[in-house]
Amino acid sequence: MGIAILILMAIGVVLMLTRILPTAFALALLALGIAVISGAPLTGGKESILTGVLQNGAVTLAATMIAVLLGSWLGSLLDQTGIGGTLVRKIVEFGGERPAVVALGVFAVSILCGSITGSAPAAMLAGVVGIPAMIAVGLRPVAAAGTVLMGISAGSPLELPVWQFMSDALGAPVSEVRTVMIRLFPIALVVGIAYVLVQTRRGARHAWAVQLDRPKARIRRGDAPWYALATPLVPIVLALGLTVPIVPSLLAGVIYALLTTTKWGDLNERALRSLYKGFEVAAPPIALFVAIGMLLAAVKLPGAKTALTPIVSAISPAAPIWFVVVFAALVPLCLFRGPLNVFGLGAGVAGVLVTGGIYPMTAVVGLMASYNQVFGVSDPTSTQTVWAAQYAGVRPERSMLSTLPFTWVVGLGGMVLTAVLYL
Amino acid sequence: MNDLELAVGLLRDTPTHENRTGEQLRSWAQTALEYGDELAEGPDVETIHVIEREGGVRKGEVLLAEHQRGTVIVYTDALRRTEEVARSRGWSVTRESLRRAAVAHEVAHHRLDVRELNRRLGHTAARLGPFRLRGHVAGADEIAAHRFAHRRSGLAVSPLLLTAALAGRD
Ligand SMILES: [Zn+2]
Repeated sequence: MGIAILILMAIGVVLMLTRILPTAFALALLALGIAVISGAPLTGGKESILTGVLQNGAVTLAATMIAVLLGSWLGSLLDQTGIGGTLVRKIVEFGGERPAVVALGVFAVSILCGSITGSAPAAMLAGVVGIPAMIAVGLRPVAAAGTVLMGISAGSPLELPVWQFMSDALGAPVSEVRTVMIRLFPIALVVGIAYVLVQTRRGARHAWAVQLDRPKARIRRGDAPWYALATPLVPIVLALGLTVPIVPSLLAGVIYALLTTTKWGDLNERALRSLYKGFEVAAPPIALFVAIGMLLAAVKLPGAKTALTPIVSAISPAAPIWFVVVFAALVPLCLFRGPLNVFGLGAGVAGVLVTGGIYPMTAVVGLMASYNQVFGVSDPTSTQTVWAAQYAGVRPERSMLSTLPFTWVVGLGGMVLTAVLYL
Repeated sequence: MNDLELAVGLLRDTPTHENRTGEQLRSWAQTALEYGDELAEGPDVETIHVIEREGGVRKGEVLLAEHQRGTVIVYTDALRRTEEVARSRGWSVTRESLRRAAVAHEVAHHRLDVRELNRRLGHTAARLGPFRLRGHVAGADEIAAHRFAHRRSGLAVSPLLLTAALAGRD
């Protein structure tokens, strides 16, 4: 029965890879298939297909969905109020004579954007002005895209919706997720800085280069006042420094952005407009989280659990050193919508690791967070990589080749950290 | 379109200038063009090593020349593309003058002093009482390099116009 589930998962991966099915639909179907194979009854209590998998599974990640929505709202506000653009413009004005300074500055802004919202919206927030600005001061296009991606990924250990996701998906308290993430952040930060310095080490690229079909995505926005530029720090300072829960931390950021940039008379309109834009931006991840919730419910069914746990436990290394070696070697499986993609089938795998008691909860959080660092930057099929690379005028695969050696190191660092601390 | 208008267009397309007034951009463009003229009057002192290579026509970018560790790389396929674009517009541009312009563009980047250019542009990034922090004007060095290349190459049309034509902005 376990083998049948694995075969089904493999089929699901193929369907996602070949893009026959969007990831969210594939995961929902996979959840149904796993429930059927593991012999769950159609109706009945918490372990039935209709109630357990579809009804309860759909809302498992409800808190995550709200966090993602609020992050997207704040992201839309940073864009519409000109806070994002102003930050990048200031960096170019202050550091433009030295490309490395501009790149490090855009990297820092990307960390802030990545701590608010994830994937393509975060990349756009930092990259719409940041990527052409870096190219204009002499960075290579592939390095400009990579700098933004490394930045938003370095910010993702601080991204409150990600904390909520790990907490909901694995059933870990937010405080434990926070502990893992705070320790992962310095690794991502240092390696990200190394990436930027290596890319700018040869100095500026002085060239006669003509950028073709530049997207006319840049809308003119006014300058935001200097005190509004602190907006991206508000949620993380509250959540990290004052241990305020995630939803109020993000709401405080929204209110701070509105009050510092918007006249009283325009408040309602801007708040609503940016909120609705936030819904639009959050639609793809929320669809995914509904499906992941169902998948998690399915792999936790008693039938699936007894079938999968022996298999997964047999192939999961127990010794810390082998934990690091094996899972670091498996890094490519989190790319191209593979089975270890944290925002895909990987969430189900993590669910099995936790419910089967194969590793301590914190170790699974660390493992998933490590994969997230690689996936978030290098996966040439993820929306942020595709957007950033194409906006810079390079192929996403080239962006992957440029960043993967660095993100693999971050992933490895996260796994070593996990093994040392939690195994 | 004259060079000043083309230079204003180039600045307008450079990120960070979205909110500047036309008057401001015009004044910066003028200063950058004059700086390019001034550089072109100076004597040639350095010897530059030039190599030619294919591979300048890429997805999303046409790279005519670049400067790496004292060596200028000229991309021959990009020069051919530029020649075609120029011919389709009825401009008489020879391959040789195009090549000279590409090399001169890189010499200009090598020679121009971004700090000095920014000083002349006089953009204030921040002000705290009597203290002013000079700001960088992205794209101004490119204008100066184009003007320098035009003076040095004897091209029939301005490199600014060729650049705009390649990008489809003319
Ligand atoms: Zn140039």
